[in-house]
Amino acid sequence: MRGLRELCLAPAAAVLAALFAAPMGILAAYSLMTRGAYGGVATPFTLEGWRRMADALYVAVLIKSFVVAGISTALCVLLGFPLALFIARAGARKNLYLALVMLPFWTSFLIRTYAWMFLLRDTGLVNTVLLGLGLIHEPLPLLYNWGAVILGLVYGYLPFVVLPLYASLERQDPALEETAADLGARPVETLFRVTIPLCAPGLRAGAMLVFIPCLGAYLTPDLLGGGKTILMGTLIQNQFSSARDWPFGSALSLGLMALVTALLWMQARRKGETLP
Amino acid sequence: MTRRRILFLMGVAGPAGCSRRNRLRLNVLNWPTYIDGGALARFEAETGIGVRQATYESNEEMLARVMTGNSGWDVVFPSNYFIPPMREMGLLARLDRSRLRNLSYLDERFQAPGWDGGLEWCAPFVWGGAGILFDGRVRPAPTGWRDLWDGRYRGRMTMLDDSGEVLGAALKILGHSLNSTSESELRGAYELALRQKPLLRAYLNAEVRDQVVAGDVLAAQSWATTAQQAMDAAPHLGFAYPREGFSLYADCAAVLRESRRGELAHRFIDYILRPEIAAGLVEKARTATANAGARALLGAKAAGLPALYPDAETLERGEWFAPMPAGAQRLRDRLWTELKSA
Repeated sequence: MRGLRELCLAPAAAVLAALFAAPMGILAAYSLMTRGAYGGVATPFTLEGWRRMADALYVAVLIKSFVVAGISTALCVLLGFPLALFIARAGARKNLYLALVMLPFWTSFLIRTYAWMFLLRDTGLVNTVLLGLGLIHEPLPLLYNWGAVILGLVYGYLPFVVLPLYASLERQDPALEETAADLGARPVETLFRVTIPLCAPGLRAGAMLVFIPCLGAYLTPDLLGGGKTILMGTLIQNQFSSARDWPFGSALSLGLMALVTALLWMQARRKGETLP
Repeated sequence: MTRRRILFLMGVAGPAGCSRRNRLRLNVLNWPTYIDGGALARFEAETGIGVRQATYESNEEMLARVMTGNSGWDVVFPSNYFIPPMREMGLLARLDRSRLRNLSYLDERFQAPGWDGGLEWCAPFVWGGAGILFDGRVRPAPTGWRDLWDGRYRGRMTMLDDSGEVLGAALKILGHSLNSTSESELRGAYELALRQKPLLRAYLNAEVRDQVVAGDVLAAQSWATTAQQAMDAAPHLGFAYPREGFSLYADCAAVLRESRRGELAHRFIDYILRPEIAAGLVEKARTATANAGARALLGAKAAGLPALYPDAETLERGEWFAPMPAGAQRLRDRLWTELKSA
């Protein structure tokens, strides 16, 4: 029995080892090496890549990335919760609505981001319609600013918060809310004191699923931000392209990963959950 | 060597093992749009050599893919300033000029270029420069980089999302070489670029094209090939090679040293050096050929495209990008990051 279990787990373990552990090992080794003049790495081993991370310039980029990811996550949760609640209570149409939430995944994220550019630019759909209606006289600056970046991130990652929230709301026993009502709680009180606390695991999972990719996102900030700003994702990507500094890029990605892991671990410990 | 082994074990050693049966096969890593399927099909029909082509978006990306020395690619198209470093890294094979009869068709300027005086390592294929793409309905039309620091295009202007080009334009305004490695010159250029940033809508590369055509953007630092595509779509657009000077690059065909298909690679390069083939390719891609024979075939068509084929007097102001030493590259990247986060 035990042998069978291990046999079944082996393929997944092999995939993880080959595609996760091994690349991480390579990254760790690279981060300790000297940059090659045209990309790549060379000896001797050095801590230079890690030391440079303390530079105020890069710390500021990190803080900015955290702020952007935090705002996007908060908006995703605010928008995603009512939607998830609606779907969980939709009865027979649940599956239809869930399919609609997942529908955007059928198209590449890059193409959907480009579509936003067509909507938001000066001669785009939004400005054209508003101008045509006479509501504005000058095109609104919708593209290439922080608003556009956050819009793109929220749009892209909203499904990731809806799905876990839906899963935890759907499992909730409707009797609990009925009980709250019987005991005199108004609907708002029931929402904040029963429904939301009970779906906290889904909320946390959803928020993490949004926050972490937002932190490393580089496509959206680049395309919708117009390259006028720099976040961690772009900074790391630059090190592997034009800056040709693989050790620093490796150190940055590992540092970011370590920071996120530490935060998650601290948060989980505070909640009293057990971690492996 | 360990990395090489790991990559091999992971099965990404490259396309070398992909050839089916005994068909002759050549693997070409190229910029997008340079060589279209039609030209490849004709080559295969003529020679029986099938070409598998993949594309890259930057020299660094190409280099990262072939740096291991067992990538499986045969022919690559580095820009001129990547030829010397790739040669020093031992990645390039020496060309056998006796197999490249059509090299003689190259423009005089490309017969002995600065980056490879004897054409021992590469065959220049296409070239271009960066200048200002502008909406001709806004007067006066720009003539120099300085005009992009002027308030008249405020919020309706873009620069390239490329540190070499943005710092290059600022260096030119200050009267320095765009390949400057001097810290004080580069800091000065950074200060200048920083002053321009509030006037800019964005830093955009080729994607600026549609926005200039649509009229969202009125002036853009742009590569000549992007500008030509925009001007094809909108006759009210113009292109200027700035009076302070501008950048030039040439993308060159080269054979990788790892290639075991050197003969096929030479036949392929000789094929794209053939004037009628070279002419057809640049006409589709809207870029400039380094081939005098092809240019003669294009004749009046090329003469009518001053953005792609500036006259000799304009070209005097151009400066070829040069290989950038690691220290200067690091400083430039730091300044670029500072500019972006400001």
